[in-house]
Amino acid sequence: MFTQSGMKTISKLAVSSVAMALVLSACGGNDNNNSSGASAGASAGSSAGGEKVKLRMIESLTSDTRTAELQKMIDAFEKANSNIDVELISPPFDQADNKIRTMLSAKEDIDIVEARDLNVAEFVNNGYLEPLNEYTKNWSEFSTVTKTALDVGSIGDKLYFISNGLYQRQMFYRADWLKDAGIAVPKTYQELVDASIKLTDKSKNRYGFSFRGGPGANSVPDTMVLAYNGANVNTSDAMFLNDGKSIYSSPEAKQALDLYLKLFKEGSPADSVGWGFSEQVQAFTSGVTAFLLQDPDVINTLKDGMEEGTWATAPMPTGPSGVALISAGGAGWGITSFSTKKEAAWKLIEFLSSNEQNVEWSKSYGTIPIHSTATEDAYFNDGPYKTLLDMTADPKTFVNYKPPFNYPANSKFGTVSMETGQQMLLGKASVEETLAKWDKFWIDAKAELDAK
Amino acid sequence: MKQRTFIWLSLFPAFLLLAVFTFYPFLRGVIMAFQNYELFNLNNVDFIGLQNFETAFRDSKFLTALQNSVYWVFFSLVFQFFIGLALALMLKKQFRGRGVYQGFVFYSWALSGFLIGLIWKWLFNSQYGVINDLLLKIGIIHERIGFLSDPHWAMFSVIVANVWYGIAFFAIMLLAALQSVPGELYEAADIDGANAFRQFFNVTLPYIMPTIIATTLLRVIWIFNDPTLIYGMTNGGPAGSTHVLSSLLMEKLLAGNYGMASAIGVIMLAILMLYTIFYLFVTKSEKVGDF
Repeated sequence: MFTQSGMKTISKLAVSSVAMALVLSACGGNDNNNSSGASAGASAGSSAGGEKVKLRMIESLTSDTRTAELQKMIDAFEKANSNIDVELISPPFDQADNKIRTMLSAKEDIDIVEARDLNVAEFVNNGYLEPLNEYTKNWSEFSTVTKTALDVGSIGDKLYFISNGLYQRQMFYRADWLKDAGIAVPKTYQELVDASIKLTDKSKNRYGFSFRGGPGANSVPDTMVLAYNGANVNTSDAMFLNDGKSIYSSPEAKQALDLYLKLFKEGSPADSVGWGFSEQVQAFTSGVTAFLLQDPDVINTLKDGMEEGTWATAPMPTGPSGVALISAGGAGWGITSFSTKKEAAWKLIEFLSSNEQNVEWSKSYGTIPIHSTATEDAYFNDGPYKTLLDMTADPKTFVNYKPPFNYPANSKFGTVSMETGQQMLLGKASVEETLAKWDKFWIDAKAELDAK
Repeated sequence: MKQRTFIWLSLFPAFLLLAVFTFYPFLRGVIMAFQNYELFNLNNVDFIGLQNFETAFRDSKFLTALQNSVYWVFFSLVFQFFIGLALALMLKKQFRGRGVYQGFVFYSWALSGFLIGLIWKWLFNSQYGVINDLLLKIGIIHERIGFLSDPHWAMFSVIVANVWYGIAFFAIMLLAALQSVPGELYEAADIDGANAFRQFFNVTLPYIMPTIIATTLLRVIWIFNDPTLIYGMTNGGPAGSTHVLSSLLMEKLLAGNYGMASAIGVIMLAILMLYTIFYLFVTKSEKVGDF
């Protein structure tokens, strides 16, 4: 009697994962069927102009405040366009990109999708996105969209999404701690590491650097390796040097990674080997760490959580040759290639991307606006945003590079870098071994890209 | 004859449900284990023989997870069982407020494993965690311990959380069994002059043995299969050092590699089948009670 029930439990538990997969794919199938019916009606509506058009849009960088802000903008749009209804889908950030991928591959009834710099190439390869070049021709505000904003959303000469805001790393630091300790604001990575070690006082639970060894871990070692390679980096294919070798193969890369390891061991909390975005930011706001390298979307969090005057911003540190390589990233709104309501979808994108809406959005959410006219706004010329403008104004020190978003393997590097990086941080692999793994990853990635 | 058709027709819905929701997914999963089934590359699904299994057994992460699974199941079970048994023996005696006390003891079993993972993640946190704080204040340690970030501590920490979680299950099941032991047996044992020690080994233990065998068997399967606690606490980190097979399976699944995830699932199924056969053989299954 028991044997039977025991076996049943075993098989049930063991296959539950597979059942989950089945449910996923089954959902995809169903929705797909629905969409053909629904969209047929809607397209008739848009051509007649009288009936209501229903747009479905999905966001990727979901957070409570961001979704609320986006919904507010959508409400304003619906008010101005009474014949268009917009349904916003907001999957949790961690799963959003996978969910979007699944929905797109099942050709679900989605009209507007938030594509990101890091997955736009993949979406375009699979034919999920509609080029927007035709639509922008009649857009009155198109001329003021910055080149950076267009670059992140373009593959080749085709534009696939209108960026809704740009991200660029800068340094946040505890102004009060540095002042008390008599330390100048670090300008180079060496100075940053020295200052971090000096400020670390384990007995007070105080550390120098908000280290990130968990999800997204590759960002700091990569920017350090890039800065140390300096002028040798091929800025249009930035995982490689001008001589064609990967950036991880040079002696400078080893210098950079040695320093990175030192930063972890002597200037960061041991726990941070597993930290991701939220732990990293939390440690800074709660007064555990003194330095944080992050995008401007943390500005509002810092403003809310910390006293004024305790923190400030500075440009990114540079390498030994006085150069830092920087890049802007972004996400934005694209139209699916299979949408039957493209005109209405563009109307919404045009509305969301207008200078007026975008500036408000950038302020509340903490991104760099996409229109050149916005930089005239006093809000961005002052305070924490100013260093970003300063960096842009000094392109000799802060050299722009193109991140490897065109590589299909790029989306896997984050996980690979995190896992191999953690082994190095925990002393299970040497710096040389780790560099060799990363070097091999990018050589293979290039071979895969060239084979296409 | 008519009646026979009616019986079959009546059974049909149940068969259908089982076939659709239990056996089809199961078979599909086994089939996927032999395919390069990746969610983001569905145009290119082929049978690849045993390649997924080969990749798994060559992957140091999988081997670590396999080894961790043994620790995870063994230590969790042993501590859960003995502490649970001790609690059950204490709760067997009548005392004031026993009902309320039982409620407190059993409540952990009513929480979700993922939630417990999150709670313990904070307790073990090295910057803000209460465990580090207490140890520092008592003076046992002078520097915070990265319970979940130091690979030497991480597996220990997740097992501690799991022990806490599972004690209540054994306490509940064993207490129920203890209460069913007829009081006359103890009276008879008393008359024969058996002390408490003898009474436990000669009366109590044989009487609750079927329950012990059944619960430990079940518990092993549950602990082995449950990824939620580890997923909530460490997600297998740091550097894969706390992955058990079930959490590794989940990671592969979330990464869209269904072929690999299914292969791990099949391996787990095989391990559990061997274990169950072995366990029932050595414990002589006729002793196992219905419950």
